[in-house]
Amino acid sequence: MSDPNSIVFMVDDDPLVRDSVADLLHSAGFEVRTFGSATEFVQSKRPDLSACLILDVELPGLSGPDLQAELAHSGVEMPIIFLTGHGDIPMSVRAMKRGAVEFLTKPFRKQELLDAVQEALRRDSEGRLERSETSALRARLGTLTPREHQVLALVVTGLLNKQIAGQLGTTEETIKVHRGRVMSKMGAGSLAVLVRMAEKLKISAEPGILPK
Amino acid sequence: MDLQPGDAAEEIKRLQRCINDLVSLFSLPAMWSGGEPSQIVHSLLDALLRMLQLDLVYVRLRESGGRAPIEMVRFAQSQGQTAQGHEIGEVFKHWLGADPQEWPPVIRNPIGGRDISILPLGLGLRGEIGEIVVGSERADFPRQTERLILSVAANQASIGLQGARFLSEQKHVATELDRRVAQRTAELAAANEELRQEIADRKRAEEAFRRVEREARSIVDSALDAVVAMDSDGFITDWNKQAEEIFGWPRSEALGRRMSETIIPLQHRLSHERGLQRFFKTGEGPVLNNRIEITALRRDGDEFPVELTITPLKSGDSWTFSSFVRDISERRRAEEKLRESELKLRNTQAELAHVNRVMTMGELTASIAHEVNQPLSAIIASGDSCRAWLSNDPPNLDKARAAASRIIQAATQASEIVQRLRALFKKTTSMTAAVDMNAVIEDTISLVHHETELKKIFLRTELHAGVPSVSGDRVQLQQVILNLTMNGIESIAGQDHEPKRLMIRSMLSNTGELLVSVEDTGLGFEAEHADRLFAPFFTTKPQGIGMGLPICRSIIEAHGGRLWAAKNEPRGAVFHFALPVTAPTE
Repeated sequence: MSDPNSIVFMVDDDPLVRDSVADLLHSAGFEVRTFGSATEFVQSKRPDLSACLILDVELPGLSGPDLQAELAHSGVEMPIIFLTGHGDIPMSVRAMKRGAVEFLTKPFRKQELLDAVQEALRRDSEGRLERSETSALRARLGTLTPREHQVLALVVTGLLNKQIAGQLGTTEETIKVHRGRVMSKMGAGSLAVLVRMAEKLKISAEPGILPK
Repeated sequence: MDLQPGDAAEEIKRLQRCINDLVSLFSLPAMWSGGEPSQIVHSLLDALLRMLQLDLVYVRLRESGGRAPIEMVRFAQSQGQTAQGHEIGEVFKHWLGADPQEWPPVIRNPIGGRDISILPLGLGLRGEIGEIVVGSERADFPRQTERLILSVAANQASIGLQGARFLSEQKHVATELDRRVAQRTAELAAANEELRQEIADRKRAEEAFRRVEREARSIVDSALDAVVAMDSDGFITDWNKQAEEIFGWPRSEALGRRMSETIIPLQHRLSHERGLQRFFKTGEGPVLNNRIEITALRRDGDEFPVELTITPLKSGDSWTFSSFVRDISERRRAEEKLRESELKLRNTQAELAHVNRVMTMGELTASIAHEVNQPLSAIIASGDSCRAWLSNDPPNLDKARAAASRIIQAATQASEIVQRLRALFKKTTSMTAAVDMNAVIEDTISLVHHETELKKIFLRTELHAGVPSVSGDRVQLQQVILNLTMNGIESIAGQDHEPKRLMIRSMLSNTGELLVSVEDTGLGFEAEHADRLFAPFFTTKPQGIGMGLPICRSIIEAHGGRLWAAKNEPRGAVFHFALPVTAPTE
């Protein structure tokens, strides 16, 4: 039912709720770790597994939404499922905009929670995968020379070799050679693949070298 | 004695003179009649000096009838003497009072230095009146004729003085009699005057008494109370106008009737008789001299409430019982009305308080939902997991059991919350019990803590552990804490200052009162609003109706306490209230 390489974190100050929800997830086969406060969670050492966070909105001290902002700020991309005793619409909209997976109002149905958890873990797996792809690409990008980097940036904007040569003040032949090296170093079989890679790496042409 | 012819003529002349003198002497008492002894002595002395050739005549009258002794002396012109009677008396003092026989015939003239022959003569039969002493420097003194004249003079003087003495005594007696008569007359007159005065006084007193009686009667008649008097036998002896009006019996008919049958309802007559008997036996009566409320009977059979005071008065051997009776039907009706309007007021206040509670609870919906949803979600989640553990193959009974325990725990928690809330939502009538204010504060905090968390308000309490309980209505007191706390929260949430702090304290004052304060760092209030804060409909909140604080104040005052506001430093407001405690601290 669930991935043994995943873990569900939960932050709720009410021990009864915490234990009940954890037990429910446990009975559904999830690995669960609970925390009594946002701070406790922030300070914990978490295993590097596919994970999601079930977060109570109303927490003493650092609240649920506060923790969400804090995690985003420190680059922790963990899908969050919010739980609240009394959720109002503006609050849930804000949470969802900031990337929450689900906003559940207590008391919630078992299936709602399990669906949300599964969705969150799926997203996290995806994210992790994507993050690992991106980091591989970034490694490849690191092998390009500055000139090749320049050529890459212009190629993905759709310019012809001749136009690129004109912009960089060199010959079309030279650009052809650079372009071939870029394709092979990046492992891109086609221009379309190279363009997607550039998008992921958020590469854009330097101002001034873009076509008018 | 040899008589010569020449001598004979002389002798005859002398005798003639002597006879004349004797005649004069015999006429003296007639002259003296009615005279004073001193006048008698005067004229005697003058006559003797005139008749005889004497150098000294001294008279001493003994004291008599309260008169002082009189001493008088006359000297012959030739002597040129002015000595006083008592000085001469001093010379004769050895012999005065003695028998004339014992006097020496000659003594040295006390005034002249030459010897004089003296002749003492007693006045009265045994000299009891006094003495006359005559003296002359002549050696032949006294001659026989002189002796005769002197003894006659002494006799005449005795008679005169006796008469004078008698007269004087008579006069004295008459004067005394007059005096006594006058005194007695005066006494009688005084007594008479006194009597007249007494009679007048008595008349006045009687007049005053009659007036007082008339006034008393008119007071009794015009009294607001019916005045009814009863004798020992239970018969009516007095009955004023008011009694006529109240009971419907005219005085003429009421007098002489049995009191109990006239104004006491049938059901009370027996106890009235018993009370009367007991009073005669023991002298005690619980209704006597006390203001009591009781039912009385009108002539038409109508029974009505009266206020009654009975005063027993003893006159001689018998007793009179005066009763002051006031018809209090009107008062009863007014009291009833007052009670009704008070009840209405109380109901209105209770309703208002209830509305205020419900409104406050409305503001707390989020917190309340949170409070209730927490255990509910635990129940549902644990129910699901319990089922899941039971469906396992084999079932995990330990886990299922633990889940069931959590369900029970959470359900209990939920029921407690509902219990607490229900009291606040219910329209309860006031119930007085011992209230632990610290527990009330804790309960209230459990309602609002969610609110303070949402609004990032740091809620803290400093509850004195030893505060004694207060007597009051728990729901109402919780409402006060809730209102003050919610006011504080709203005030703090309305501004951006840090820190956002709400502090609730309880303590025991020096005067033994329980003090509670709710202190916020919110907007505070303007000094000029301090009084208006507690006025109805004064509000600074857009949705407020301005009844929260007036309700709080009326609740606290109904508990015998005080509620007031002060500025908090450096910002915000503090609301304090003080309540009397039920029992002293140990």
